[in-house]
Amino acid sequence: MSKRVGVFVCECGTNIASVVDTARVAEEAGKFPGVAFATTYKYMCSDPGQELIRKSIEEQKLEQVVVASCSPRMHENTFRKAVAAGGINPYLFEMVNIREQDSWVHSDREEATRKAIDLVKMGVSKVLRNQPLQISTIPVTKRALVIGGGIAGMQAALDIAEGGHQVILVEREASIGGKMTQLDKTFPTMDCAA
Amino acid sequence: MSIDSKTSWQPRIIVFACNWCTYAAADLAGLNHLQYPADVRIIRTPCSGRMDPMLVMRAFNRGADGVLLSG
Amino acid sequence: MVAVAQHPNIELITYAEVTGVTGYIGNFNVTIKKKPKYVDWDLCTGCGTCIEKCPTKKIKDEFELGLGLRTSIHMVYPQAVPGKPFIDADNCTKLTKNKCGVCEKVCPTKAIKFDDKEEFINKEVGAIVMATGYDLFNWEEAYGEYGYGKYPDVISGLHFERLVSAGGPTGGKIKRPSDGKEPKSVAFIKCVGSRDDTKGKSYCSRACCMYTAKHAYQVKDKIPDSEAYVFYMDVRTAGKNYEEFYQRALNAGARYIRGRVSKIYPRGDRLVLKSEDSLLGRPVEVEADMVVLATAMVPAAGSDELARTVGFSMDKDGFYQEAHPKLQPVETFAAGVFLAGTCQGPKDIPDTVAQASGAAAKVLGLLSKTRLATEPMVSEVDINKCSGCGLCVPICPYNAITLEEIQERGHHGPITRNVAVVNSSLCQGCGACVPACRTAALNTKGFTDDQLVAEVDAICL
Repeated sequence: MSKRVGVFVCECGTNIASVVDTARVAEEAGKFPGVAFATTYKYMCSDPGQELIRKSIEEQKLEQVVVASCSPRMHENTFRKAVAAGGINPYLFEMVNIREQDSWVHSDREEATRKAIDLVKMGVSKVLRNQPLQISTIPVTKRALVIGGGIAGMQAALDIAEGGHQVILVEREASIGGKMTQLDKTFPTMDCAA
Repeated sequence: MSIDSKTSWQPRIIVFACNWCTYAAADLAGLNHLQYPADVRIIRTPCSGRMDPMLVMRAFNRGADGVLLSG
Repeated sequence: MVAVAQHPNIELITYAEVTGVTGYIGNFNVTIKKKPKYVDWDLCTGCGTCIEKCPTKKIKDEFELGLGLRTSIHMVYPQAVPGKPFIDADNCTKLTKNKCGVCEKVCPTKAIKFDDKEEFINKEVGAIVMATGYDLFNWEEAYGEYGYGKYPDVISGLHFERLVSAGGPTGGKIKRPSDGKEPKSVAFIKCVGSRDDTKGKSYCSRACCMYTAKHAYQVKDKIPDSEAYVFYMDVRTAGKNYEEFYQRALNAGARYIRGRVSKIYPRGDRLVLKSEDSLLGRPVEVEADMVVLATAMVPAAGSDELARTVGFSMDKDGFYQEAHPKLQPVETFAAGVFLAGTCQGPKDIPDTVAQASGAAAKVLGLLSKTRLATEPMVSEVDINKCSGCGLCVPICPYNAITLEEIQERGHHGPITRNVAVVNSSLCQGCGACVPACRTAALNTKGFTDDQLVAEVDAICL
């Protein structure tokens, strides 16, 4: 597999850029072995940001992508889709967390920038060893379980049932209704609870 | 929470963080803007069960000053 | 409630608990324990003769929070759904001492079943909604200044609901528990257990400001020449028409005093509340016939164990943890498990209903799919390296690894040997098997040894 990594450093408005020198991160990233292209952008998750990734893959003939931005728990899927739209297997992609685990928890610009560079270096190093992966599918049992028969459980069960699916509603007491049935009139309309 | 970071020595600390708890907790620390020293580098693992002693040895072997396994 | 019982798509299983959950999103297998009711509900018509005739009549009614009495064979409350009775085994003389059996004799459909046993059933489901609700903070254990529960006329807001309810033990007449007299002066204390780091919980329980306003209004409305005092820290009325409702309580004559009550003690048959009025900056003393505490909401008893059974996390207070505080308020970290109502955090009825519908929408989205894409980051075996030792098999928490026989060509004809095989739909990609593998035949895709070592080296070199 050829190695042409693209590194995309997100500024997240000022969320990242106010603490981390993103331009320097991109510049340093450009020097890492395997990196063919590195750039910054204000909001990488936005439409133009994703378009930038897609176009860069095409123009720079990128083979792997690293995005340095927020937590992968936030936007990993967003960027996987963007990478896939550019024609690369979405698993030839790594996300580097320079917001939650860097700019938001550090205030020293120099130290935070150095950390970001290190984190990008780790990401690049890892992505070079990523393999393309294929998604498989599993069947779905079209039935839901609702645990608790109070107002929340009853409402959820009714909505799912109305949507045309089977629901099993399990209640610990011998009657559904929960705390709601113990209430008299309820605010702000003073209608009855039961 | 704050940790005094006013020392000249800057250790190299590697954290192996479980994606489901510690990594999420580190994100939560970020959401709450809790400040801590910038010397730690977090490596995401799918679960602390994935941790191989080999990785810890590798880290020390290559000059890490501390390794934190958390999950 | 009746709509739930009558809906053709809803199977209602009451007096039951979920005791086991295996599987994963789209394919959960759930074990449900049906507790013995000692009444065959298929035969029972709900006529109520057994309840009428049951001689054990003096049991404190849990539904009435001890303010009323019930029989041993009983319904949770008269309008229960399903409207069928069950026997409280601890208080039934037939089940404890083998005496009585009156209900069995009077039942016209022979529905009484004293030999009923608990029963376990298994169900396949694709999604789970948690809606386990709340309990009230146990103020009796924490608040010595309010008497640790030794004054019968110091009650919780839920007790007050029962006293004011037309279906309650007093038929909706507000009477104080000690002597049944109508209280002429009722004091309300807000934030008992809420917003109190030292004795209770740090959070705001969100519904109390409004129900206390309602209670104060009801006192003024139902009892002529009455006084309703409300001791508060703040009045929080963030909701549609809430502020207007609070004004209605004020206009009805409820007297709001900003201050924490430091002590309650008896004087004659009344109670004295010592506090300060922090707006006027001076101490106040109020005599009341009854005191109602707006106690904090806490997670329902047993909800922690259930979270572990189903397999998702809780927050510092034991409420169920949503996947993201703003963007994923009904999801959990366990795919396919959703949250509705106060199990996720204190909230009032409109918010509960809204969140429940939100959870239902998520479930419908999931169930509308015939097949679901799976995460490909799972473990795989290189059979060329696998020695078939089987060490990985018991380590896998999802029972995803099995040993299977394969045939290979050898120098002297075919050889059969065992190799580990990973079931990719059971595997959750935790990678616990990888360090156990002595021949490095196992690897977790996306988190291979090679990749993790590369990360370590990248930092250090």
